[in-house]
Amino acid sequence: MFKLNLKIAWRNLWKNKGYTLINILGLSIGMASCILIFIFIRFQLSFDEGYKNEDRIYRVVTNWKYSAYEDFSSGVPVPFAAAARNEIAGFETVGSIVKRNAFLQINDANGKEKMKSQEAVYYAQPDFFNVLSDIKWIYSAPELALAEPNTVVLSAKYAEKFFGSVKDAIGKNMRLGEKINLKVAGIIQDMPQNSSFPLEIVISYETYKGRFNNNWDSVNSAFCSYVLLKEGLRPEDLQQSIANFNKKYYPVDKIAGNQENKLQVLRAIHFSDKYDNFANASINRSQIYGLAIIGLFLIITACINFINLSTAQSVTRSKEVGVRKVMGSKRSQLIYQFLTETFVVSLAALLIACVITELAIPPMQHLFKGRIEFSLFGHPSIFAFMALLVLFIAFLAGFYPALVISGFKPALAIKNKIALNKRGLSLRKILVVAQFAITIVLIVGTLVVIKQMQFVQQKSLGFNPDAVAMVGIPNDSLSKIKYNTFKERISKLPGVEDISFCQSPPLSGNINSSDFTYNGVKNKDFELRNIRADENFFKVFDLKLIAGKLYHKSDTANACVVNETFLKKMSITNPEEAIGKVIYASGNTVPIAGVVKDFNDQSLREQISALAIFPGKNDYWNVSVKIDSKQIAATMKEIDKIWNSTFPNGVFDSAFVNETINSYYESEQIMGVLFKIFAGVIIFISFIGLFGLISFVATQRTKEVAIRKVLGASTLELVKMLNGSFLVMVFVANIVAWPLAYLFVSKWLAGFAYRIDVSIWPFALAMAISMAITLVTVSIRSYKAASANTIDVLKYE
Amino acid sequence: MIQLTNIEKYYASKGVKNYVLRLVTTTINQGEFVSVMGPSGAGKSTLLNIIGMLEEPTYGNYHFMGEDVTSLNERKRIELYRNHIGFVFQAYHLIDEMTVYENIEAPLLYKKVGSAERASRIADLLDRFNIVAKKDLFPNQLSGGQQQLVGIARALAAQPSIILADEPTGNLQSAQAEEIMSLFKKLNEEEGITIIQVTHSEKNAQYGNRILHIADGLIKEDIKIQA
Repeated sequence: MFKLNLKIAWRNLWKNKGYTLINILGLSIGMASCILIFIFIRFQLSFDEGYKNEDRIYRVVTNWKYSAYEDFSSGVPVPFAAAARNEIAGFETVGSIVKRNAFLQINDANGKEKMKSQEAVYYAQPDFFNVLSDIKWIYSAPELALAEPNTVVLSAKYAEKFFGSVKDAIGKNMRLGEKINLKVAGIIQDMPQNSSFPLEIVISYETYKGRFNNNWDSVNSAFCSYVLLKEGLRPEDLQQSIANFNKKYYPVDKIAGNQENKLQVLRAIHFSDKYDNFANASINRSQIYGLAIIGLFLIITACINFINLSTAQSVTRSKEVGVRKVMGSKRSQLIYQFLTETFVVSLAALLIACVITELAIPPMQHLFKGRIEFSLFGHPSIFAFMALLVLFIAFLAGFYPALVISGFKPALAIKNKIALNKRGLSLRKILVVAQFAITIVLIVGTLVVIKQMQFVQQKSLGFNPDAVAMVGIPNDSLSKIKYNTFKERISKLPGVEDISFCQSPPLSGNINSSDFTYNGVKNKDFELRNIRADENFFKVFDLKLIAGKLYHKSDTANACVVNETFLKKMSITNPEEAIGKVIYASGNTVPIAGVVKDFNDQSLREQISALAIFPGKNDYWNVSVKIDSKQIAATMKEIDKIWNSTFPNGVFDSAFVNETINSYYESEQIMGVLFKIFAGVIIFISFIGLFGLISFVATQRTKEVAIRKVLGASTLELVKMLNGSFLVMVFVANIVAWPLAYLFVSKWLAGFAYRIDVSIWPFALAMAISMAITLVTVSIRSYKAASANTIDVLKYE
Repeated sequence: MIQLTNIEKYYASKGVKNYVLRLVTTTINQGEFVSVMGPSGAGKSTLLNIIGMLEEPTYGNYHFMGEDVTSLNERKRIELYRNHIGFVFQAYHLIDEMTVYENIEAPLLYKKVGSAERASRIADLLDRFNIVAKKDLFPNQLSGGQQQLVGIARALAAQPSIILADEPTGNLQSAQAEEIMSLFKKLNEEEGITIIQVTHSEKNAQYGNRILHIADGLIKEDIKIQA
């Protein structure tokens, strides 16, 4: 029976090649998108999975509650680990780990330089690996390798990279910075990509210079502590002891902002907005849900197509159904037969979907800059998902048509007198409206995302980042001496217009903020961002002063410039009033020399903060070089050459300020691309479905069209008649979609402090697009129906 | 009124021409009641469709009220058609989704007749055919004879100068058939409407005043009936 069903299914599908093609194409594109989304979500959800103690592993984080805002850090004060080990009884193990960037040099057997590179290194206590005890050690063990100073543990990959092989690496030496020699004392497994711990080079904590810091008031987000709770304990059980600990070490009268430590479970690290992580790859859960919903939408639109097309086709099958019923087929057998057919189609669609997915994987990987592992056969759960997808679609898409078709009354069905065209609100119409509402929400979303990204890219930031390169400079004492030589040498290059030593560009996520005292009064409401830069900074970035003057060239902080926002926040209306007042911030006590016009100092998601710009030679990490835009490539090459000869032990790295600023919107850009793709896919699927549906309606109304034609209707009038209901449906879909789209886009835009206003035009445009495409799609088919030779239909009754 | 000159119609299949009509030449004047007769497949319906502009001849000239139909564009043809031709079918071909009233109204809408005028014409037709009580019923609620009455009323609504009927009584019982045929005769005599009907029945043919016998696509006989 099943074989026969398959055979009939095959013949039927072959007979209606057009419909089959539309069905399979729509379904496979929908499925491919779903599979891609699934692969992505599975990868994200798999972060840090598989630790056998995962419900006992916690990261200790730090929170602050100021009167005006809250602050969060993934780090803890340096003395935390030692104190917590003794005082919080619920912790079985406490391990500190700190991430730093370091310059490494590997020499060959003769002591000649073989390789130098700038790498992220981790200083870790052996206990860190006792907490994350599932990280495999290929050679040695945490206590043996990391207890002593000047030892280093490499991942297998880095052992190979540095020394050729794991075996060759053991016991070898490498140099850290200028002076420290590290001995390779252990090898660990390569960390998978779905790990929040991309540990490649782990240096013993005893080597870490800052380990004796005893300040409870200073927290760096890269200095983390991981703890293993004692067996059987839940974080609630530790609440009291942690509260006592907080009270003891962060007394309110001494430490600002109600500083306190909290526990964060291992598996939450990857999904946290507030706290960053070593892998810099966190993703918000709501983003994952958003993607899942888009995936669901896609598959639902594809299924709606399938349902509509199948019911459309069913009319032509009515005779078959009638004859089968007369021959004694039960309804359930017919349902079974039609579901078999749907299953065959879904399976075919799955095969094509796999091909599409394979083709789409490289561009996807490119989009995520290779940080995400995409593979169709990477995990058994992907197969399970595909199997489920086929069953789900076969059932969801096949059941309703099967029910309708099998319900035909045999006597009428045999005479082909089945009419599905009921008046009023049919399920089909509701489905079409739902489908288009989804499509329109996505179109509006896409338009708004694109518009906002344009806005972000075009908005004047208050400074000019064009053609400015940030060139990193080493800041050890030996290199500092060479700063002036370096500056002189590159100033002579013809393409270089201006040079400034600074910490970071004016817009950067990488600016310290601190408490401050203004005019002798300590401020408690907000923090001041401190930019360190020499006096040329203003010229390089075209920053305008509105009052006072610049500070003089100086190696140490002699004065500072504040911005307008600072004055606003301090309620100073006249900029001149602030000139000469003394500010104390991050160790400097200096008068205010000038007031700079506001510029965006953070991504446009944030408001402009209050900030001060100080000189301070000891804290420059970068040289910003303004280059003649016509000579960028050549000039950069020259700078590279001069840099390498001035700082022979360093590694040259440079970035254009424009590109760095754009990188702050990377997730939005990825989102924009994804939106464009999925909106395209969903539009395509919807309009394929629309084409199927108009075919159905046209077939259904062939006789009516013929009669009307005989009564004197022109082709145009008939096309209008056939199109009418579709345009109405799409219009209704627009009306349904608008409020949803509005909610969605305003929520998304709320994440930006600087954003476009939600205007009517994306909505109007979405409507125009959807109506126009509908009109074209539908007209193609309805014109064919209306211009067909009518009399053929009426001749043989 | 209708002038057919050397009308030919064939369907080519696999290079073989299957002629339906060959060299049909005839003239039909205003006020005639013509019955087209002949065996199945003789080309009767095709001839009627060509006269009704639903099909185009392969060769030949067709002049309708002095205009060369074969050379008209679609818009003009529809214009001509809307104003002068009414069709009646064997299977009635009413639109199932519309009531009796709406069915009769349809051609008037296409002719862009004003609503007051429409209402009065439909009321008049309903009255004449004694179907006022049935105006809100759907076609499937009527008997065959009643449906055909509606079909004729619909054909007349646009006030055509010619009615083309393709076996109008083929699906009807004899009593109803007689009623329909008398109606045609009355329309022809009292209102001067030209009627061309295709029929198998010798008896029905006698209601008219001219009979065209067609066989194998050729006009075999053209008989005038004296009243």
